[in-house]
Amino acid sequence: MRRAAATTFALLSLVVVAACDKKDAPPSAGSGASAAPEPTAAPSAAPVAWAAALSGSAERGAKLVEKHECNRCHDGTGLERAKFELHCFGCHEDIIRGKFKIADKVKLAKWKAHVRDIQFAPSLEGAGARFEPAWLTAFLYEPADLRPNMVASMPRLGLSKQDAADIAAHLTRGHRDEKLSLESASAERGRAVLETRGCGSCHLMTGVAAFPAVPPSAPGERTAAIELAPDLRFTRERLSAAAVVRWLRDPAAMKPGTLMPNLGLSDQEAKDAAKYLLTAELAAAPRYVAPKKLALLERKVGFEEVQERVLGKICAHCHGNPDVAGGDGGPGNTGGFGFAPRRLDLSKYSGVASGYVGADGERHSVFLPLADGTPRLVAALYARHDEQAGKPRPDVRGMPLGMPALPIEDIQLVESWVAQGRPR
Amino acid sequence: MTKRSVMSIVFAGLGALMVATTAPAEAEACGGAWFPEVEVDFRPMAIAMAEKQLDQGKVAQAAATVIRTMPHVGQLNAKRSKIVERGQRVLAVAVARTNGKLELGQEVPAYARAHWAGKTEKDRQANLTFAVNALRKVNEIKKDDPAAQTELAEALARVDAHKSEARDMLEKLAKKDLIATPEGYAVLAELRAKAGDESGKKLALKRCEAMAPGATVCQTTARG
Repeated sequence: MRRAAATTFALLSLVVVAACDKKDAPPSAGSGASAAPEPTAAPSAAPVAWAAALSGSAERGAKLVEKHECNRCHDGTGLERAKFELHCFGCHEDIIRGKFKIADKVKLAKWKAHVRDIQFAPSLEGAGARFEPAWLTAFLYEPADLRPNMVASMPRLGLSKQDAADIAAHLTRGHRDEKLSLESASAERGRAVLETRGCGSCHLMTGVAAFPAVPPSAPGERTAAIELAPDLRFTRERLSAAAVVRWLRDPAAMKPGTLMPNLGLSDQEAKDAAKYLLTAELAAAPRYVAPKKLALLERKVGFEEVQERVLGKICAHCHGNPDVAGGDGGPGNTGGFGFAPRRLDLSKYSGVASGYVGADGERHSVFLPLADGTPRLVAALYARHDEQAGKPRPDVRGMPLGMPALPIEDIQLVESWVAQGRPR
Repeated sequence: MTKRSVMSIVFAGLGALMVATTAPAEAEACGGAWFPEVEVDFRPMAIAMAEKQLDQGKVAQAAATVIRTMPHVGQLNAKRSKIVERGQRVLAVAVARTNGKLELGQEVPAYARAHWAGKTEKDRQANLTFAVNALRKVNEIKKDDPAAQTELAEALARVDAHKSEARDMLEKLAKKDLIATPEGYAVLAELRAKAGDESGKKLALKRCEAMAPGATVCQTTARG
C-alpha cells in the first residue's frame, strides 16, 4: 500500500514545480529587491496587537497540533514525523535520493528536477526559546511568506484566532519574556558584522541594501540553508532582542540541528547585529499586486488541457483519487490538516463534475457561481492571489493551499473552460 | 546396496549436476546476483487503462480490457477487493452504454466473451441486471458520490422497471449541477422525452452537447 500511495503521489507530483517557481511569480511580500519599495516606516506591530491580547492554552494547542497534523510537514511539533504516505515531501525526498521505487528511470530523473525545490519545511524545534507567542499566533491565523527562497509557504488553515493562540502557546511552551537593552550596541557595527559574516549568502533582508554573499552563491543555487533562511526584515516581529542575541551566539543551543551556523560572535558583536536587525530603517515591504483578470479565451479549451496544465499538475496533489492511492485521496478529498473530508477529486473529469461536500454536509458543484458570478473553482484560484496581496477572502480559501498562486494565464484557461460548458 | 538406493544416488547426482551447470548461467544473466522470481500483479495497471478507455468513450475496448484481465469478473465479490470493484464498475458502465450488447473483439477468448454480447434477450437482460447490481454495490461503497450515482442511473434507465428511479436520481443531480458525465445528461434527455417533457429534454441535451461537443454520445440511441 505504501508503494501504491507513494507511486500515486509521485505521479501526481510530476510537474508541480514548473508552475511554482517563485522567480517566475510576481514578487511577494518577502521576495526581495525586485519590487520598487515605497519609503515608509518599519512594519508596525499592530497586526499582532490582537494576538498579544489573547491568552493561549498549551494543552488545547497540543490537541490542535495533532488535529491539524502539523507533523505532516514540520519536525519539532511534539509529535512523531508523519508516516511516509502522509508526509508533505516524503516522496520527494525518496525521489531526490534515488530511493523511490519505480522502474522508469527516465521518469524518475524528470521528477527529480521537478521536486528539487519542494523538500524542506522549517523545524519547530525550540520554537519556545525563539519566537514571540503573539507573532506566532498572528502568523498561524494569517500566514505571510517569510522565506523568499522557498516555493511552499505556511498554508492558511481553518483556525480561529483562539485556535492560533492555543497552538502558539503549545509550540512556544517554556517561552521566557526576557528584556535586554541594546542601548550600548551600534547598529552601524551590526551591519558590518552581518556583511562580513556572510549572512547574505543565505538571507535576504528586504527593505535595506542587500548584504553581500560570502561566499557568493551561484545564480539559482538552492540548498536547504538558502531555502529555509527567512527574510530578516521579519526578525523584529518574530524574536525579542534577547532571543536574537542568544540565537546569534549559539543557534544550535536554541534549535538543535539547525542549519544556521555558529558564527563565533562575541556578545558585543551579537548585540550590534541584533540592534541592526531590530532597528534598521526599512523601506516598505514590496507589495504583491494581484494580477488583473484576463479576457476569456476564444479558442476551444478541453478538459485534457486543463488537466495537464492545472488540475492534474497542481490540484490533484491534495484533491486526488482515493481509489488509486490506498484509500487516501489527500487532504482535499479524504481530509487532513484539520480539514473535514471534502470528497473533491480533481484528478478526473467525473470527479471534478461531482463537486465537493460543503460545511453543510451537502454536495455542491464547484462551478456554482459566487455572488460576483465567478465559479467557485475559479474563485479559489483568484483568492490565492488575494491572499498573497495580504487580502484573504473570508468566504473562499485560496488555492493551491500553501503554494504560490497560479499564473493568471492558467486561471484564464480554467475560467474559459468553465465558461465553454466544461467540455470533457 | 539395493537397486533402489543405487537409483536414489544416481538421481541425486544428476540433480546436483543440473544445479551446478544451470545456476551459474542464470546468475550471470542477472548480473551475478541471485534472486527469486516475483509474480507481478498487473491488474491495477490494466484496470487503470480500462478506466481511461471508458473516459475516452472507448466502451468496448474498456470492457475487453477488464474481461481479459479478470475473465470471471462478473462472479467476483466487489466488496472484498478494490480492484474487483473498479473492474466491475467499468464493465457495468460499458454494459449500460451498449444496452446490454457488448461487442467484444477476438482479443477476448470465446469462453470469456460468454453472454456479454447479449445475443439473446435473456443474455442482454442478465447483462443489464449485472450492471445494475454492480453499480448499486459501487454506490453502497461510495456513499453520496455523484459520479457513481450518474452511472447507476445510466444502467437503471436501461431496465423498464427502474426507469423512474433513474429519472429521480438524475433530476436530483441535475438540480445541483452534479450530473458527472455527458452520458448522464443524454440519458436524462431520453427519460424526459419519454415523459413528454420536451423543453426539459432540450435543456439536458444542451448540457450534454456542451460537455461533449462534436461527440456522438448525445446523438446515439433513441434520445426521444
